[in-house]
Amino acid sequence: MVRVEGLTHSYGQGPTALTVLCGADMDVEDGGYAAVTGVSGAGKSTLLAILGGLEAAQHGAVQVAGEDVTRLRGGGLARFRRERVGFVFQDFGLLTMLTARENVEMALTLAGIPRRERRERADELLAEVGLAARAAHRPARLSGGEAQRVAIARALANRPRVLLADEPTGNLDEDSACRVMDLLESLRAERGCTLVVVTHNPELAARARQRLRLSRGRLVRLGP
Amino acid sequence: MSWQDAALLSLRSLRRRGARSLLAAVGIALGTTLLVALLSIAGTADTRIVSQLSHGGPAAAIHVDDAVPDPAGYDSDTLKTGAHRDLDDAALAAIRRSPHVSSVVPFLSSGALVVPCPGADPASPAAPAPCRHRADTYFGTLVGADLTRFHDLPITVLAGRLPRPRSLNEVVVTQSYVERLHLDVAHPDAVVGSDVEFATPQLLPGTPARFRGRWYQARVVGVVAQTVDDGDFLVSLQQTQAARGWALAGVDGRAFRRPTSPYSGLVVVADTLANVHQVRREIFAIGYANSAPEHLVASVQKYLHIVDIVLGGIGSVALAIAVMGVANTLLAAVRERWREIGVLKALGAADLDVARWFLVEAGLLGLAGGLAGTAVGTAITAVVGYTVNQYLVDQGLQGIDLGGLPLSLVLGAPPATALLAVLAGLAPALRAARLPVREALGG
Repeated sequence: MVRVEGLTHSYGQGPTALTVLCGADMDVEDGGYAAVTGVSGAGKSTLLAILGGLEAAQHGAVQVAGEDVTRLRGGGLARFRRERVGFVFQDFGLLTMLTARENVEMALTLAGIPRRERRERADELLAEVGLAARAAHRPARLSGGEAQRVAIARALANRPRVLLADEPTGNLDEDSACRVMDLLESLRAERGCTLVVVTHNPELAARARQRLRLSRGRLVRLGP
Repeated sequence: MSWQDAALLSLRSLRRRGARSLLAAVGIALGTTLLVALLSIAGTADTRIVSQLSHGGPAAAIHVDDAVPDPAGYDSDTLKTGAHRDLDDAALAAIRRSPHVSSVVPFLSSGALVVPCPGADPASPAAPAPCRHRADTYFGTLVGADLTRFHDLPITVLAGRLPRPRSLNEVVVTQSYVERLHLDVAHPDAVVGSDVEFATPQLLPGTPARFRGRWYQARVVGVVAQTVDDGDFLVSLQQTQAARGWALAGVDGRAFRRPTSPYSGLVVVADTLANVHQVRREIFAIGYANSAPEHLVASVQKYLHIVDIVLGGIGSVALAIAVMGVANTLLAAVRERWREIGVLKALGAADLDVARWFLVEAGLLGLAGGLAGTAVGTAITAVVGYTVNQYLVDQGLQGIDLGGLPLSLVLGAPPATALLAVLAGLAPALRAARLPVREALGG
């Protein structure tokens, strides 16, 4: 579950301050699928960063996976990111010195999972995203679509309740983008986690059950 | 993230930027090499050389003469003697009883007519003339000592070996004998294997004075540098005791007195350099003149200490520069891995996990550099030690055993450099750990 009420966020102070979120509200039920669209600079990524505990909320209430994110600090915030949410970045965010398997393992390593178990889980996840044969390859040897599938496997490693994807297809061609979105949606359905996708692509956004548009700092519900 | 996981991640990071990591480690290695080599050489100069001097070395041993002391000799490095006084076993035992004496070796010198007998020329058809008929005879001194106590005596073997203990037909010579034979001092082994004849005089009764010689021939088995006593020859104590017995069987003359003292002198070594003065005073109190270069050794120690400070300072500066290199490398790494730090934090890494990653990396750089530097420093010390020893021996001086590096230095240097590198990595690690996630991700 993701619930946002009256979220306001600004960059800078005084007359030069730039307010990107101005009383934004949002409510996505457990296992829901929401897409947030908006023009560049509308504050989509900021919204996602606040939902994932990457940036502190300035005003408003933010509840994600049963946690009041606004109250979390330091170690609590790190634990929240580790256990409750999974991130998928536009540029994949893979560590280039590690193999695909090790990248997935890294999320499990941070969660303190024993070595043997994390290797098994990483291999299972890579098999799930269809990359079992590429487990020992470094990101430089993977295509964009493959790299994003590794990133999805890593995001799911700790069985998060909420999956946050920031322009997950932004760096992919159309075919790869479709496959990645198919994968994200099928995994969400299988695992029952909540998926929030930020995209500027209306076609991809149209696939979501709940569509929101961020405009002038507020979230506007689109469609039914 | 465990330390082990952090180490694996750090190793991968170091390998990815292999050239930069190598340069940082080489910087540490050079600093460590310099520090280890300089400290060990300075330390060795301090301990080994001075310690060696204090354990029988020519500079620190106390030379006791068969004479009563001159009061002016108390605080002097040079020997100042009064009237002759026999030096016997009772005196030797009294000196040995001093708690600060580690060894006492007596010696007995004896004058003798010396007839060098160089080896016969095998190409010459003529039979060599008997040695005692040669014209190049001279009056020399034989120094007899207990050669089983070789390590307690200021003797360095330059070529060949020492005479066998109690041998009556083997002798070692000093470089002055080699010079007398017009041989190359740089190749003292040329004299080894030749013979030399000696005649100890015995004064016969009646006038005019007539002497009878105790002739004996000895084989030169080695060449030494020695400061036991003035003399060209070093023989077993039994040889000079036999010579003394022969002279005692004669009579006293106006210019030739029979030797009455069982020993000509003693070489006394104090247990530490600090106790040399105390032992000297005790020997004075027993009633014998003695000398030791206390002031010289003290001056040497002072200068060695200054050398210690200067060399240690140079090494420390080198190491500090190397450590700053590590800090610089890590700061660059933090900047370079900005995005990776952000990703790790987004995955749930705590600040401590990120700091650990960089600290382990710094520690690994320091450890690698420290290990390499210690190994190279050890090798340099060994080469310097060998060179110095060769030089001293070539100069006819007593050689020194520089030995290996102090174990504490060998074992302590790599962890110490690792620790220094970790300290140098603290600032970059904290910077990385405190990086706001969003900023690191480039948002």
